[in-house]
Amino acid sequence: MSANQFDPVPMAPPQPAAGAAPSSPAVAAEDRANPIRDAIAEAISEHKVILFMKGTPDAPACGFSARTVAILQSLDTPFAAVDVLGDPRIRHELSALSNWPTIPQLFVDGELVGGCDIVTEMFESGELEQALQ
Amino acid sequence: MPSAEHIKQRIEAAIPGSSAEVEDLTGGGDHFRALVTAEAFAGRSRIEQHRLVYEVFGAEIGGPIHALTLKTLTPDTIPAP
Repeated sequence: MSANQFDPVPMAPPQPAAGAAPSSPAVAAEDRANPIRDAIAEAISEHKVILFMKGTPDAPACGFSARTVAILQSLDTPFAAVDVLGDPRIRHELSALSNWPTIPQLFVDGELVGGCDIVTEMFESGELEQALQ
Repeated sequence: MPSAEHIKQRIEAAIPGSSAEVEDLTGGGDHFRALVTAEAFAGRSRIEQHRLVYEVFGAEIGGPIHALTLKTLTPDTIPAP
């Protein structure tokens, strides 16, 4: 298993805007440009297969993320990975964008495929391999 | 702390005609597995079916309910062995 089979996407949090209110960044973010959500949307559109997970493919921080990574690796699928633990706002914005509450989230061709349960079910039925082609 | 029975009742109350089998995976009241069968799932994608169940719990998913592993079926689906 090659270590560079995936392509980690850096998603550094942007600096807070000058004069931004120090409290409640999640609420304040609704009212202005949303660079984190934009960065997430851009990452989804730029990568054929992208997994938002807890931890990294080499060091998953959650059993559901680990299982999803193992499935993708077993299919020899190159995929980009974003660690949502890097900044709590990533998870918040991702779930708002995808209307999906849990992590991991797998996107293929810009569309949400699902989380660990759906990915596992599709892997077992062979649908996942088809979707990844 | 929610119990498996509590999760089952809330799913069945919120999705008309559904039946749910819910298991507390760790005994800790925060990791559950649910098998939900509902006519309302017919014609919907898996994503949409799971969303219907997640919506029952809103922000509790990822909060008090750390994980809810889902399998959804329509009444005429025969589960895989």
